[in-house]
Amino acid sequence: MGEDGETRPPSRSLPILSTGDSWGMLACLCTVLWHLPAVPALNRTGDPGPGPSIQKTYDLTRYLEHQLRSLAGTYLNYLGPPFNEPDFNPPRLGAETLPRATVNLDVWRSLNDKLRLTQNYEAYSHLLCYLRGLNRQAATAELRRSLAHFCTSLQGLLGSIAGVMAALGYPLPQPLPGTEPTWAPGPAHSDFLQKMDDFWLLKELQTWLWRSAKDFNRLKKKMQTPAAAVTLHLEAHGF
Amino acid sequence: MSVDQFEHHLKFFSSSRTDCIARMMDIFLCLKQPSRMVDSKRMRMTSNFQWILLTFLLLYLMNQVSSQKKRTPHDLKCVTNNLQVWDCSWRAPSGAGRGAAYEVCIENGSHSCYRLEKNTKIPALSPGDHEVTINFGSSISKFTLNEKDVSFIPDTPEILNLSADFSTSTLHLKWNDKGSVFPRHSNVIWEIKILRKKNMEIVKIMTHNTTLNGKDTVHHWSWTSDMPLECATHYVGIRCHIDDPKFSGHKEWSNWSLLKNISWSSDSQTKVFPQDKVILVGSDITVCCVTQEKVVLALIGSTNCPLIHLDGENVAIKIHNISASESSGTNVVFSVEDNMFGTVIFAGYPPDIPQKLNCETYDLKEIVCTWNPGRPTSLVGPRNTSYTLFESFSGKCVRYKRAEVPTNESYQLFFQMLSNQEIYNFTLNARNPLGQSESTLLVNVTEKVHPHTPTSVKVKDINSTAVTLSWHLPGNFAKIKLLCQIEINKTNSVHELRNITMKGVENSSYLIAVDKLNPYTIYTFRIRCSTKPFWKWSKWSNEKQYLTTEAIPSKGPDTWREWSSDGKNLIIYWKPLSINEANGKILSYNVSCSSDEETQSLSEILDPQHKAEIQLDKNDYIISVVAKNSVGSSPPSKIASMEIPNDQFRPGVRYNFFLYGCRNQGYQLLRSIIGYVEELAPTVAPNFTVEDTSADSILVRWEDIPVEELRGFLRGYLFYFEKGERDTSKMRGLESGRSDIKVKNITDISQKTLRIVDLQGKTSYHLVLRAYTDGGMGPEKSMFVVTKENSVGLIIAILIPVAVAVIVGVVTSILCYRKREWIKETFYPDIPNPENCKALQFQKSVCEGSSALKTLEMNRCTPNNVEVLETRSMVPKTEDTEIISAVAERPEDSSDVEPENHVVVSYCPPVIEEEIANPGADEAGGASQVIYIDIQSMYQPQAKPEEEPENDPVGGAGYKPQMHLPVTSTVEDLAAEDDLDKTAGYRPQANVNTWNLVSPDSPRSTDSSSEIVSFGSPCSINSRQFLIPPKDEESPKSSGGGWSFTNFFQNKPND
Repeated sequence: MGEDGETRPPSRSLPILSTGDSWGMLACLCTVLWHLPAVPALNRTGDPGPGPSIQKTYDLTRYLEHQLRSLAGTYLNYLGPPFNEPDFNPPRLGAETLPRATVNLDVWRSLNDKLRLTQNYEAYSHLLCYLRGLNRQAATAELRRSLAHFCTSLQGLLGSIAGVMAALGYPLPQPLPGTEPTWAPGPAHSDFLQKMDDFWLLKELQTWLWRSAKDFNRLKKKMQTPAAAVTLHLEAHGF
Repeated sequence: MSVDQFEHHLKFFSSSRTDCIARMMDIFLCLKQPSRMVDSKRMRMTSNFQWILLTFLLLYLMNQVSSQKKRTPHDLKCVTNNLQVWDCSWRAPSGAGRGAAYEVCIENGSHSCYRLEKNTKIPALSPGDHEVTINFGSSISKFTLNEKDVSFIPDTPEILNLSADFSTSTLHLKWNDKGSVFPRHSNVIWEIKILRKKNMEIVKIMTHNTTLNGKDTVHHWSWTSDMPLECATHYVGIRCHIDDPKFSGHKEWSNWSLLKNISWSSDSQTKVFPQDKVILVGSDITVCCVTQEKVVLALIGSTNCPLIHLDGENVAIKIHNISASESSGTNVVFSVEDNMFGTVIFAGYPPDIPQKLNCETYDLKEIVCTWNPGRPTSLVGPRNTSYTLFESFSGKCVRYKRAEVPTNESYQLFFQMLSNQEIYNFTLNARNPLGQSESTLLVNVTEKVHPHTPTSVKVKDINSTAVTLSWHLPGNFAKIKLLCQIEINKTNSVHELRNITMKGVENSSYLIAVDKLNPYTIYTFRIRCSTKPFWKWSKWSNEKQYLTTEAIPSKGPDTWREWSSDGKNLIIYWKPLSINEANGKILSYNVSCSSDEETQSLSEILDPQHKAEIQLDKNDYIISVVAKNSVGSSPPSKIASMEIPNDQFRPGVRYNFFLYGCRNQGYQLLRSIIGYVEELAPTVAPNFTVEDTSADSILVRWEDIPVEELRGFLRGYLFYFEKGERDTSKMRGLESGRSDIKVKNITDISQKTLRIVDLQGKTSYHLVLRAYTDGGMGPEKSMFVVTKENSVGLIIAILIPVAVAVIVGVVTSILCYRKREWIKETFYPDIPNPENCKALQFQKSVCEGSSALKTLEMNRCTPNNVEVLETRSMVPKTEDTEIISAVAERPEDSSDVEPENHVVVSYCPPVIEEEIANPGADEAGGASQVIYIDIQSMYQPQAKPEEEPENDPVGGAGYKPQMHLPVTSTVEDLAAEDDLDKTAGYRPQANVNTWNLVSPDSPRSTDSSSEIVSFGSPCSINSRQFLIPPKDEESPKSSGGGWSFTNFFQNKPND
């Protein structure tokens, strides 16, 4: 966006007419309007581009965040104390296979769009798989229902991310054979460790949703900037 | 030295050949072993010498015994471990070397000698005493050996194997009883001890009983630990005690076996035990954490738990009386520095007995068994109750698939029926990790058929009154009979139920005929079925609506006719047929007229029109109308028409018409009709008489009016009555609706009497009766009647006022008598003579005297307020001293009093001051205060001392009710009785206490100066009202009459 009045986009330049050279500004405006149909960034009526789908994905992450809050409350209560206590923070023991959302800030900044989206996609496809396993384990029908509902929503998010990637022309990551996470409650996995994993799954899911919201917000801003940049360029050209 | 041992020594001593007596003499000479003796001697210094001697003797003997022992083999002891060989040993004589040889001879029936070293194994001897001689070189020892002296100590048992089942925390112990060495069968008690932890704390000692049977037997024993075996090392030891009934010696416990232990080989990873354990609600459980790190916290759910330290860093917690777990179990968490470990415990119940087990079939192909699980087990998921339905005749079983807990708390299982089997014996087994239960049911399925809902209900015509009904009922009922119920609903009619019994068929299709229906009627059919014998109805099928076909109308329409106004045309009307009669939709009507000469038919008249007009001359005709529907025509309805000239009839005259039919044999009366051409009002009034009169009613009877005078059909009578005399009253406009005239309309013309009730006695009534027809009202007939007198009412009317007057008089008299004193005082009070009152004088002196007091205000002393004073009689009376003592007891109350109160007492005599100078009143700054306190103690002993001062200076001027008269009356002073009488009556206002205190009656007053005596009168100080002493007959009359009525009430005595 422009820093002063002269470099603002045309829609915002009207209020300064009274103060500046009105004839000059009018000429500028006319020039801008003349060139407007030629601006590629604004000339996307047929194909809206990834912008709206990024916005949708962002909205979906925020919605899922909200949905997860209630689901986690229910599920942690189901796990029983101390899992449902606010300050409960168990070590991340058996949850090593879960995709980690926490990442160094510098590393996160240095990620490019493709990598960012790929990581998101991979993480959610893993988390979804674990979540489905959780659903199979749940003892009460009500819990199963809310888990299934959340799974559906998460599936939607996954599709949404895939859509954004497709819009930006990135290929979808192929699941490597053998890395497909499996839910093995086997005899070696005690109920307690299972509960720890469940706890971490929900926690990771929450962190991922936070991170995705940031990711998509960043992506959204990035997608908006080119249009503004073109406008600026045009204005400079008009003078 | 125990008694046993001592006896043993004596025995030994007696068997030796030493001369005892000679040795005894030496005791006194030698006195060896001084050290022991000294001890004894010291203790018994004061006792007599004989005792000392005896002691010496005893000591000597013992000494001799021991010295004797040392030279010969002694202390023969025999033990056995198998009851077959006795192992005897003795103490070697002093000087005998290690390898010294002995000759042991036993007198056991035959004499047998053994040459042995130190100890010997001898075969078990028979019961009874046996002489044993042991020769060692020159010294010979003789012993008597009895089985009773032999100890039986079994061999130390040996644990063959100790194993552990960690999952169930059970130890399994295996050992051999080595029974083959014992000759006889005998009971063995095994004692097993369990020790825990490295420091071997005993956890449990238990006994286990077996019998020896002459063979080596391996025994097994198991024990379940309350603590998981992984938590700490467990040790097990065993010993035994053989109770051989024939052995008479000492039977002793064997030594403990070597301990064997069980420990869990940890792989240095922290673990919590038990893992995922299912236990019964209410039981205790120990959970431990096997770790190398220091456990800082243990939680059960969110509850902190005290740690029990085990070996190393291992810790345990104990949960007592565990409550039922939530669906995901109870979490137990151990926290170490930077990590946490835990386990989940599932506390629940074993499955309840399945309740309401019921098996039935819908279709005789499959049996459905349903049941209620009963009490919830609190266990879900993999620990949920699993059910198995087992049929014992066929040996087949079905398992309940634990997919979803059914929402309606009822479970069901399907069991495929077997051909040729009707009786099934089901056993439903419920099982979960905590136990199992079952319930059984023997059922004959052909008697437990609950058919499905009939479907595909179809209706077909047979004719207009019968249809066939067909439906589909799934199931193979070929072998049984069905009972079906058909509900037939007709609109606007009650529904009809028809039961049908039919044979079941294999192909599920059923068909029946339903008859006795009405044509052209909408019916709604529905069906439900059951089987015979009856068990349950199926649900009702869907309703099926059906319209039956039409039939010919059952009768012709009702018809009548009328001449048109010009008299040329005959108009024929008919009533449309009802639905029941029409039997279909009426399309048209056919009308025809036939006379002797001709038959005239009109064209078809379509349905909505219900009249026809025919041009006819005035002959006699027969007109017939026929209704037609799609099926056919109704039977004709015929009317005949005949004219009688009108001018022959007069109004008001009754005519009888007789209609005769003309038959072959002659005429026959068909019908007779009575009628008027026109009805008119009756010409006469009915004759009526009064049958009976009483005080409140009149009975009236009337006669019929003759038909000729009636001139119409009688419709009823109107009866009027009102109060009124013959002379004064006339019936003024009966119909005008006057309120005092009462009207009775008698519509029942057969009624000939009327009783008029609720009349007043001895009153003249005016009665009027008239008849009416449709033609109008007839004339009136009136009569005057006087009702009889009501004597009883009169008597009562006199008696009641008299009785009331008498009662009032009596009550008033009684009241007046009882309250005569009070009345006297109220209306005729004794007014004291002011001349006799010395208070005025006295007041002066009081003021002079009290001028010395700083607090007194002289201007208030002016007694100008006092209007009346009264001199009390000088008779000294004893006054209760309670008041004074109250003064002494409440000095602090007085300190609360504000200085303002001094005003009140400024009038009080110096005498008071003197009195108050007594102990307890020192704090009370002056006489005034003390007196005020007395007021308090009198009127308000406890509460609100601060309110009182405000009232007192001013309020003191007013009246003070005698609220606390009982205070004074409680004083148990007989002498004060007459004073009490006074207090019971009126008391003066304001400083009653002042009056009380300083009254001449008071004993204190008598003690005081004579001036006080003159003061002793209830003079009002602040009040403007008269003060009257209580019940003082001698007091002079009041000089003033200013007693107001309000005071009268205020001064009411409390009692």
